[in-house]
Amino acid sequence: MNSTNYLQFRSIIAVAVAAALFAGCASVPEKPAGSEEVRAKLTALQGDPTLANRAPVALKDAEAAVGVAETTQKDLDLAAHRVYIADRKVETARALAQIQFAEEERTALKDQSEKARLDSRTREADVAKTDALIARAESAEQKVAASDARSVADAAQLAANASQQQAAELQRQLEILQARPTDRGLVLTLGDTLFATGKAELKSGATVNLDRITTFMNEYPNRTAAIEGFTDNTGSEEMNQSLSERRADAVKRYLVGQGVSSARLTSSGRGENAPVADNESAAGRQQNRRVEVVISQVEAEGTN
Amino acid sequence: MRRRLRIALPALLIFAAAASAGTPPPVTNLQAAQQAIANAERVDAASLAAVELGEARAKLSAAEKAVAAKQMVVGAQLADEARADAELAAARAGAAKAYTVNAEIKRSTATLVEEMQRKAGDSK
Repeated sequence: MNSTNYLQFRSIIAVAVAAALFAGCASVPEKPAGSEEVRAKLTALQGDPTLANRAPVALKDAEAAVGVAETTQKDLDLAAHRVYIADRKVETARALAQIQFAEEERTALKDQSEKARLDSRTREADVAKTDALIARAESAEQKVAASDARSVADAAQLAANASQQQAAELQRQLEILQARPTDRGLVLTLGDTLFATGKAELKSGATVNLDRITTFMNEYPNRTAAIEGFTDNTGSEEMNQSLSERRADAVKRYLVGQGVSSARLTSSGRGENAPVADNESAAGRQQNRRVEVVISQVEAEGTN
Repeated sequence: MRRRLRIALPALLIFAAAASAGTPPPVTNLQAAQQAIANAERVDAASLAAVELGEARAKLSAAEKAVAAKQMVVGAQLADEARADAELAAARAGAAKAYTVNAEIKRSTATLVEEMQRKAGDSK
């Protein structure tokens, strides 16, 4: 490119403009060639809602340049020059407005970006939180499972404790009954205070021990009891046998009357033949006058 | 060094022309054009608005030649046009940069959102 090229170009435009002027009505002042296009560009820019107000100074400058270009009449070179300048100024105003628009848009874009980043982090945090919740729930589940296992163990322990307690309770009961374990079972001896001499009727107020037996039998419904009567050797053997039987039977009847099933109870008289002490002394004879309740050591099954 | 020469040489020519003709050379116009071109170069117009900047340089060159040929009015007009071209080049370079930056932000945001949706899809 050199200046002569431009000069030639400008001359051509000038000639063209001049030709246009002569071709048209000479009395009406024509606008310079290209000025209408520039005006149209300017109008378009001014009508563009995204750009119109974003480069006010440059736009005003461009508008002035377009005005000047439009009113240049005589000097065609000058007119072409001014049209060119106006065109550049309009384009520059457009570009500057675009910069401004882009910068304003960037603020919003950065906000969006920041929001997206935040959302992303929030989501990650949420995911992490959810994971944590799931993990916690799982661990809670495991804990529940563990505690289930533990509660099973606890139950076993409890059962063990219970059976221990039961055993302890049984022991206590037996202690109360003053029962002594023998190979026949738990033997508890009711003294002769139950009956008047020679009688087979239970004395009223002498039933405390019997009531304990009732309680025990109710507590351990699978146990059975054998009730055996004994006497000293005072009197005839037959009479003693009969008395021991009747006394054992009286105890049985009393227990049945207290709600112990008769199926769990047997009664028998052993008479004077199984002394536990010497019949020569009064103390020995007193020991021999007795009713023994033999409670089955092992719980019988199906007897209720 | 070369640039200084480029500026110095036309200046000499202008003074020479001024000495021999009645119309003073458009020194201010030429300087304004040079300044505008330098500004445009500073904002990467050489790559972002190469056509406009090329136009401006060519016009400035033509202006200097016109002045050297004692065509002061044409020289002044060409200098003014060079300046207008250079200012347009700078503005368009700025606009191109601004759009590039925005496009980059949009792209990264879109990527982020897309990634997020994919993750959301995964976690469902």
